[in-house]
Amino acid sequence: MNNQVDKTGDVISNPLFKEQLKAIVLERANAMPETLRIAVGSEEFKKVDLIKHIKDEDEIGKQMMAMELGFLQALTSGAIYNTHE
Amino acid sequence: MLITRPDHEIVTKYCCIWSENIIDLANQKSMHVYDLKGKKANRKEFESYIKSKNPSLVFFNGHGNSATVTGYDNEPLMDERSVPSKSIIYARSCDAAQSLGPMLIQKGVRSFIGYIRKFTFFYDPLSIMKPTNDSMARLFLESSNLVVSTIIKEHTVDEANQRSKSAMFKNLKGMLSSEATFEERYAAPAMWSNINAQVVLGDLHAKI
Repeated sequence: MNNQVDKTGDVISNPLFKEQLKAIVLERANAMPETLRIAVGSEEFKKVDLIKHIKDEDEIGKQMMAMELGFLQALTSGAIYNTHE
Repeated sequence: MLITRPDHEIVTKYCCIWSENIIDLANQKSMHVYDLKGKKANRKEFESYIKSKNPSLVFFNGHGNSATVTGYDNEPLMDERSVPSKSIIYARSCDAAQSLGPMLIQKGVRSFIGYIRKFTFFYDPLSIMKPTNDSMARLFLESSNLVVSTIIKEHTVDEANQRSKSAMFKNLKGMLSSEATFEERYAAPAMWSNINAQVVLGDLHAKI
């Protein structure tokens, strides 16, 4: 169920890719419904908090970037569709 | 079973309340349940129960990092100083499978199920007074509960992990379907992250 190669670290450590990813993840965060909160670790965030963390590229911001990138990679590789229940 | 359920803020309160079904199930199965809820989820109480009751199953709800699982007010409950029992542990807690899990296995814990990244979930802020009515949180917390409920039903930890992941994956497919709400589609990356972050360490065939 978890055979994909995790390349999120490679992408985030590349300055060019990181800026592109950050722009995508910021767009995603801007689309976050006001009717949701996200609990990441010990903290919970609303949309405006999330955007700030991503802009600041702090630990939470990087976590969100890694999460979105991992999901995009799984979509493009087909890992999500190939996963067996 | 020893369960820790701190409830000092919204995230822990959600996990605390969503764990009540697990306690009910354990009671139905006539298991002894030692419930460290709220302020009772402190190190002194925790270590006392580990030493005196030697529980076969420990279910942590709380915050954490790669080396620690915490209780009420984020007091460390288990870390490198801990002397664990020969139990099965499920830590619904961030990052603890990175370092703490392997260390506990070396110290004699039979199996450790946890997360190598942050456990993430979405919730509806209008449901904070009644978290069990929160259909968004249900997608994440009910499927992770399956780890413990499957172990209580005397299956192996490997089966527990697989059943939980299958439920998470089923939820993910629903969240990506045409019937999904915008909120569900938005939350899908977090579900995928949890699926990939949940791991089993130690004896895969362990059961209570």
